[in-house]
Amino acid sequence: MVEELLHSEAGLLNFGIFFLLATVLLLVVLGFVTYAILAERKVMGFMQLRHGPNQVGGRWGLLQTVADVLKLLLKEDTIPKLADRPLFILAPVIAFAPAFMVLATIPFTDKLQFADIGVGLLYYIAISGLTTVGIVTGAWASNNKYALLGGMRAAAQMISYEIPLVMSVLGIILLTGSLNLNEIVEAQKNGWFIIWQPIAFIVFLIASTAELNRVPFDLPEAESELVAGFHVEYSGFRWAFFMLAEYVYFFAMASLTTVLFLGGWLPLPFLEFIPGAVWFALKFTAVIFALVWFRVTFPRLRADQLMEFGWKVLLPVALANIFLTALLKEWLNIF
Amino acid sequence: MTFSGEFLAFMSLALVAVIGGVLLLNLTKVVHMVVALVFTFVSIAGIYVLLSAEFLAAVQILIYSGAITIVMLFGIMLTRHNDTSEPNTGRWRKLLVFVGVLGFAFAVYIGIYNLDLPSAPNDLHVNNTEQIGIELYSKFIIPFEVTSVLLLVALIGSIVLAKKDDEKEAEKE
Repeated sequence: MVEELLHSEAGLLNFGIFFLLATVLLLVVLGFVTYAILAERKVMGFMQLRHGPNQVGGRWGLLQTVADVLKLLLKEDTIPKLADRPLFILAPVIAFAPAFMVLATIPFTDKLQFADIGVGLLYYIAISGLTTVGIVTGAWASNNKYALLGGMRAAAQMISYEIPLVMSVLGIILLTGSLNLNEIVEAQKNGWFIIWQPIAFIVFLIASTAELNRVPFDLPEAESELVAGFHVEYSGFRWAFFMLAEYVYFFAMASLTTVLFLGGWLPLPFLEFIPGAVWFALKFTAVIFALVWFRVTFPRLRADQLMEFGWKVLLPVALANIFLTALLKEWLNIF
Repeated sequence: MTFSGEFLAFMSLALVAVIGGVLLLNLTKVVHMVVALVFTFVSIAGIYVLLSAEFLAAVQILIYSGAITIVMLFGIMLTRHNDTSEPNTGRWRKLLVFVGVLGFAFAVYIGIYNLDLPSAPNDLHVNNTEQIGIELYSKFIIPFEVTSVLLLVALIGSIVLAKKDDEKEAEKE
């Protein structure tokens, strides 16, 4: 449907349709973020033998996040006197906009996708790098030493872990022969890539957790060291924007993991009668659960350990995986 | 006159690119300049997309707006992050520069006005990532390999520089 729209005459009607589609996607993502936060708090609660939120909105605390967001919107919007005003205001926008842009290329089912770009995978990785600029400018604009330290850590971490992330995915690109996410899913008809590329999957999972700034890689906002890291000085809806960007990436990265390694909307054998969207949702939920599980389980890394691990362990492993994949591909060609 | 979507997209992207460039020259704070530069890079990537060079656009964002900008910001923050540049140009110099700009604009106008581009093959955008790969590994294999050697030299050079600093500091202590 989007394909036809893209090739039709430009006009107000088309603009309206695109605007409406984007708004619907934004609302879906906001709904996801609301309940992902609740689910995360609940799961963390159960894993730590607590109840989690259980007061607002019934026994399951279903309205807890809604109440939290309302509180954030009503809060006073403070901008420090010595902050760099224009950058301080601009930074949350720069951080959030790419988070929403990357969603355009992810195929949720074979029909439901907004932009079928030839270089979809590269597009995701490139655009997601822009958020770091927002984080770093926000950190700098705050004129606060903790914020600056958090921003520096964010920049160093994002750059270091982007490389293993890309390298781990190269194996998949080798096997598929394409950067298009649809074709990558199609290529998994005879076995998901988690089976063909187990090493890549582990490297990707670790690097993506680092890219998401989640525990055990949450150094940019390490509460116990930096108060709140790069967003110390932010409050109210500007802070909410940073958080929103983080959770939208959570959504996007889980979707990407599903598409790359778990076969996207493809069903398990003999279960083809279940629609693709359900399969996607199931796999997606499993990835989300694993990421929450990480958060409860692992302690935070030290900054120097983080760098050493990224450059001296993950990168060589990812490179070795590319080599192995090339061998595997040649070996498969012989038979 | 009707506006096609492509025209509107090109105009807005070009406008952002030019404004970013002008801001880069006119702002006083270094960090502001870098942010202006990011906008220019991103809109140039947008223009690449309009020209059906998707791969180039993605790489442009990945390398320029992502990596290089971050490294620049990193460098600025680690050194004198409150640095500002004061304009110190005299009137004569401004006048000369203005005349130079006019002359350049005139030359470019003449050049473009009489330019007759031979119509390029129209299937360049089909599988352009694959085409770039094939060209790179068949026709341009030697320049490509030489570039990788250059990168390796830069990498080793930076390691050597970093090592030297460490030893000096250790001696001081």
